[in-house]
Amino acid sequence: MAATGTAYVKTGEFVTRAIAGELIVVPITAGVGDLDSIYTLNEVGAAIWELIDGTTTVEGIVAAVAREFEVGNDQAKSDVVEFVTSLAEAGLIRPVPESQV
Amino acid sequence: MELERYQEFSARLHRKVVAQRVPADGVIEVTWRCPLGCVHCYNNVPISDERTRRRELTRTEHFRIAEEIAEAGCLWLLYTGGEPFARPDFLDIYTHAKRQGMLITIFTNGTLITRKAADHLAKWRPFAIEITLYGRTRETYERITRVPGSYDLAMRGIRLLLERGLPLKLKSMALTANKHEIWEMKRFAEDELGVEFKFDAMINPRIDCSDSPLAARLTPDEVVALDLLDPRRMTEWQSFCERFNGPVLTGERADDLYHCGGGITSFAIDPEGRVSLCVLSRRDTYDLRTGSFREGWEACVRTVRSRKTTRLTKCVACEIKAMCGMCPANAELEAGDPETPVDFLCHVAHLRAHALGVAVPPHGTCEYCEGGERYQELLQSLARVHAETSAEGPAAASQD
Repeated sequence: MAATGTAYVKTGEFVTRAIAGELIVVPITAGVGDLDSIYTLNEVGAAIWELIDGTTTVEGIVAAVAREFEVGNDQAKSDVVEFVTSLAEAGLIRPVPESQV
Repeated sequence: MELERYQEFSARLHRKVVAQRVPADGVIEVTWRCPLGCVHCYNNVPISDERTRRRELTRTEHFRIAEEIAEAGCLWLLYTGGEPFARPDFLDIYTHAKRQGMLITIFTNGTLITRKAADHLAKWRPFAIEITLYGRTRETYERITRVPGSYDLAMRGIRLLLERGLPLKLKSMALTANKHEIWEMKRFAEDELGVEFKFDAMINPRIDCSDSPLAARLTPDEVVALDLLDPRRMTEWQSFCERFNGPVLTGERADDLYHCGGGITSFAIDPEGRVSLCVLSRRDTYDLRTGSFREGWEACVRTVRSRKTTRLTKCVACEIKAMCGMCPANAELEAGDPETPVDFLCHVAHLRAHALGVAVPPHGTCEYCEGGERYQELLQSLARVHAETSAEGPAAASQD
């Protein structure tokens, strides 16, 4: 479970592509698994993905999502934590030690 | 975010890009030059051909084109040749395209893959790399490539890629010179190396319409015998027939000349920057040195793709098209115009249909259908193929 005070960084280089109405995360350097599966994003997912920059904490992302999508803080927190956790489990992001934030 | 199985994602996205006419599938021939001189090749030019080299797109032009096709929606990009690694700057071109977020496949013969190139690919991982193997033995391989030492170089390339865990697949063209080694190549790939293997027997003339590659082509009997000897291939053909054989299209698309993805979701760009429907279709192209990809896709490619048939041939109403390699591009190369049926392909398709037990409904005057002047010959072929394959046994079956 992603901790709200933690910032995350992407594990490699990725490009987000918008094709025929789909938002797709394409890994371009090594460090991620083979493409036997692929990551597609919805609008909220795309916004969270952009905010994962190695310095913004989960808490900061929650605040930004609540503001941008006009949802309550609890709802935003639930969505962001779930999403960040799944990204970390998939190996696309990793937590940044607090001393480096 | 949704993590989705690749196959499901691919099928879903393909449905969308077909509906929206998005050029999601691209092929770029980076060069026609190649260090090998394969007897059956449809486009190769000697690697040292300076005139050809000078006319190729520059690295900067490739960068621009990669950016433009990505912007237009290209996701799956194939780099092929000639031999892509014949260009010293190929990895720069490839890496720039990777940075645009495309899933890139490379077709190569593997002979120019060095340790440094393999290391680079391990960092900038391709979607797939396919190496064509021309024989299981050095003698057969080099009889086809006509370059001494090329077998060992290809084996080195294969080893370098496998050592780095790259997504390698092997494939072969089944030819008169290597047909006896197809199953050994399959065993080598699948059992010894643990990689996927496939082969094809469909050889077409060179893109300048020279028919020199046809001397290396198997006979229709031999092509279908290879199908029968491989249980997996037979299953694939049967499944393909169930999905795609059937009545011809009706409605406004009934008289379309093209029924493939060319110009709908796919395109090809040749080494000199001309975009067309596919690598074999060379008659109508748009020069990317004079305009943008978007202009070429929206104007020239769309116009070519919307062409209609001009006459009723036996192919128009044929319901076994799925078993046939016939297409306007193949017909241009082998029969001189996009609508003239290619006899070899028609012969193979009818023989294959009989071998699979698939009915062939009447579709006009056809030599290979009941009552046609070559129908008896086709039945004799069928008997011969069955006899030969029963005697030989399913050579490939033991591998599964």
